[in-house]
Amino acid sequence: MPAMVRVEKVSKAYGSLPVLRDVSLEVNAGEVVVLIGGSGSGKTTLLRCINRLETVDAGRIWVDGVRIGATEVNGHERPETEAELNDKRSRIGMVFQRFNLFSHMTALQNVALAPVMVQKMNSTDADALARRLLQKVGLGDKLGAYPSRLSGGQQQRIGIARALAMNPKLMLFDEPTSALDPELVGEVLDTMRKLSEEGMTMIVVTHVMGFAREVGDRILFLEKGVILEQGTPEEMFTRPQNPRTREFLSKVL
Amino acid sequence: MDYSLRLHVVTDNWVFLVSGIYATLAVTLGALAIGVALGLPTGMARLSRRRWLSMPAIGYIEVFRNTPALVQLIWIYYCLPILTGINMSASVSCTIALGLNAAAYIAEIFRAGIQAVDRGQVDAARSVGMSYFQTLRKVILPQAVRRMIPAFVNETVSLVKYSSLVSVLGVADLTYQAQSLSTTSYRPIEVFTFIALVYFLICTLLSYFARRLELRMAVSD
Repeated sequence: MPAMVRVEKVSKAYGSLPVLRDVSLEVNAGEVVVLIGGSGSGKTTLLRCINRLETVDAGRIWVDGVRIGATEVNGHERPETEAELNDKRSRIGMVFQRFNLFSHMTALQNVALAPVMVQKMNSTDADALARRLLQKVGLGDKLGAYPSRLSGGQQQRIGIARALAMNPKLMLFDEPTSALDPELVGEVLDTMRKLSEEGMTMIVVTHVMGFAREVGDRILFLEKGVILEQGTPEEMFTRPQNPRTREFLSKVL
Repeated sequence: MDYSLRLHVVTDNWVFLVSGIYATLAVTLGALAIGVALGLPTGMARLSRRRWLSMPAIGYIEVFRNTPALVQLIWIYYCLPILTGINMSASVSCTIALGLNAAAYIAEIFRAGIQAVDRGQVDAARSVGMSYFQTLRKVILPQAVRRMIPAFVNETVSLVKYSSLVSVLGVADLTYQAQSLSTTSYRPIEVFTFIALVYFLICTLLSYFARRLELRMAVSD
């Protein structure tokens, strides 16, 4: 079975500042991979390259066997069209640090928008889908609420429901709890835990080591755009090999 | 100073005076329509990273913002027909000129409004697979427009006032009618005070409705 995500020798720089150097990574279907590392280590950039919110300077990326950033036909590659890119992106859910909910729309509208716009679902079906997903994340009573009237934890769960509405094969989480008050972190992590139990393939950037340890199948430690070390939570948290990993973990644990 | 007010000059001729409102509003609304229709793409082009799009937009905006509106009006009325051979009535020509002028300002309003929308909104819309235009239409513009309302009302109010310039080219707007009445009646104080009041009323009403609209749209913020 091909990997759900394959990242092959990806490099990227912002101007003269390299953020990713020759990064390779495979994520299997149903696997939860957690990216850890200090700020500026390239975790978020790597995540954003996978759904092409950032372009790569070198290297190739596939999601579910489909090349991202170019289109491959019979072994030949050509630049991808906007429609192709949109189609590929629609199968990859993303959850953002600052939620990025559409502030002029209710919870229900936030979730129902993409199915209508991208999948051309009729609005009755899209509303039913949105209602079901909001119930799933525990917000069945907030359908008509605007984001500004909701707590950060509620907003982030709507963000998750919005991403799930496109029935993605892969979910990317970019520090989903970093902007939350401590007492709201749990509700978002619970939602993510449930998702992983359902078999969703997930790549998660987080600073919550407890979550990484409990839900992660594999932990990757990034520094200066390189994956310095990776392993099971057990290996990484109890006997990290790389001195830089040890130093980082001793600071955050 | 012995000047006694003769208000009957206004009351006897108010139909004549007020008939100018028609031209004033027609020019204003026409120019506004042109301004919005042209201002949005110009503002978008101004924001583009492609220089062949942004440079002409910047040039257009700068030319119209840095030359007097009256000169633009006169230029388009007298010079454009010579250059293009297209003859237009004064009112059409003036509406187009004011519309082109308004477009430059409205482009800047759109640009500022769009730039004020959080970049994360675009990321979120694109990440679920929405296209650039879908994102623009469903996510960016609805949020930008809310923020633009005050600036947009400002522009509309100044357009109402600028529309008085068309009287110079003989378009029978409020100001033109007032000038005619003032020359025939020799009562400038009554006549011009009256139309100033009319302009004041139009502009105040506009601001009032805009404020109510703003409050109603603020529900989601």
